[in-house]
Amino acid sequence: MTAMLAHLLHRRDHLLTHILGRQPLGRTLADLTLLMTICAACYGAVLGIWHGTRLAAYDAVKLPLVLVLTSSFTVVFSWVAALALSLPLRFAQVAVLTFLALATASVVLLSLAPIAWFFTLCAPAPSAATRTTHNALYLMHTGFVAACGMAGTRALWQGLCRLEQPRSVVRRVYLLWVLGYALVGGEVAWALRPFVGSVSPRYPVVFLREDALEGNVYEFIGRDIVPHLWSRRRH
Amino acid sequence: MTPSVEVAAQPPGTVLSTLDELLRKPDAGFARARAGAPIGAWAIRVFGGSLVCCALYGAGSGFFAGGAQIGIAAVKAPLIVAWSALLCLPSLYVFGLLAGAALTRARFIVTLVGFVGMLALVLVGLLPIEWLFSVSTRSLAFVVWLHLALWGVAVAFGARFLRAALPEMPASALLLWLVLFCVVCFQVTTFMRPTLWREPNTPVVAHGKLFFLDHFSQALR
Repeated sequence: MTAMLAHLLHRRDHLLTHILGRQPLGRTLADLTLLMTICAACYGAVLGIWHGTRLAAYDAVKLPLVLVLTSSFTVVFSWVAALALSLPLRFAQVAVLTFLALATASVVLLSLAPIAWFFTLCAPAPSAATRTTHNALYLMHTGFVAACGMAGTRALWQGLCRLEQPRSVVRRVYLLWVLGYALVGGEVAWALRPFVGSVSPRYPVVFLREDALEGNVYEFIGRDIVPHLWSRRRH
Repeated sequence: MTPSVEVAAQPPGTVLSTLDELLRKPDAGFARARAGAPIGAWAIRVFGGSLVCCALYGAGSGFFAGGAQIGIAAVKAPLIVAWSALLCLPSLYVFGLLAGAALTRARFIVTLVGFVGMLALVLVGLLPIEWLFSVSTRSLAFVVWLHLALWGVAVAFGARFLRAALPEMPASALLLWLVLFCVVCFQVTTFMRPTLWREPNTPVVAHGKLFFLDHFSQALR
């Protein structure tokens, strides 16, 4: 795993050459998955620690799970989209490029873990009176995950740019892949909630909520968030 | 950094001459690192000197409350900077590498220690101004704004050093890291509160957890 970390950080060009070549990629995929899992598990533990060790342990499992499930759900579409847009990539190459982006995002997340941990340490313990703290932590983690996701997709972009194809084709494929990750990733994270944990006694710490698969994040935004914001604006 | 810098065959031997070199030839440390010369002693001298500069700046800020707070702030200020740098160290390393910088261990140490050194040197340069305002006002809100402004000046010089040290890093990534560093500094300051003003017979480090924005709004009230 440390060898893969060194490749990812110091010899990315070499790694991309290997991925886009003709060699078998099973070992690379396994190493990237292991790296991604460990880094995401460490950040997951920090993510849940505000609510105690139980949620920290749950999140150490759930955050890598979000990444693995997101890539599993999107990889077939990514491959088909690449082929349909004339980007000649093998299925294994698409899978490894996906995991390369996620592993990069996880490594950046891990580098931010000390900062996230320190802010969590400074936060008052969860209670009904600490809704603002909850929201601030939620915002911080969302910002970190989003920024790291962007850093991860940058690695993907660098990989795709190495293919000798017109830039417009590469851009279209890249946008489709990122859109797929964002759409599916949002929903998977929503289904596997809670991550930061709620301050309401109605929602105790659980691995999965009973209503995990009832509705989805986009319905929630359309049904609850947008009307709420709209009504506030009108008043 | 310009590769044409001529590095003295003998690196500066004292803390003061090392800090002087950092100001006059900020790329000398990088040139030594590139040449494979040992940079451990240089880094220790710069870091040690930076802590002393921060302690002096802290002492200056303690003059606002006076008495024991001068000594307490002198201890807290270097701790705030060192702790913040430690928390932000992994992110600077990973951001730099992902941006394509060929960061060796020596180059990274010179970058981080040089950044802290530049920050501390500018802070100590602002010490007389800080002291003047600290002893001549009774408004806590004013000195909080003053320290924020002085901190901003110091960070701007630190950013200039970082920009030259990591030319491969896009400006947006550098700005993002600097924002993170500042936010972490503010939270570490809140964690170590009170720094500027302490009620009589209250502990040197306040109990209870507080978010830095709440702390600032309390101080500015």
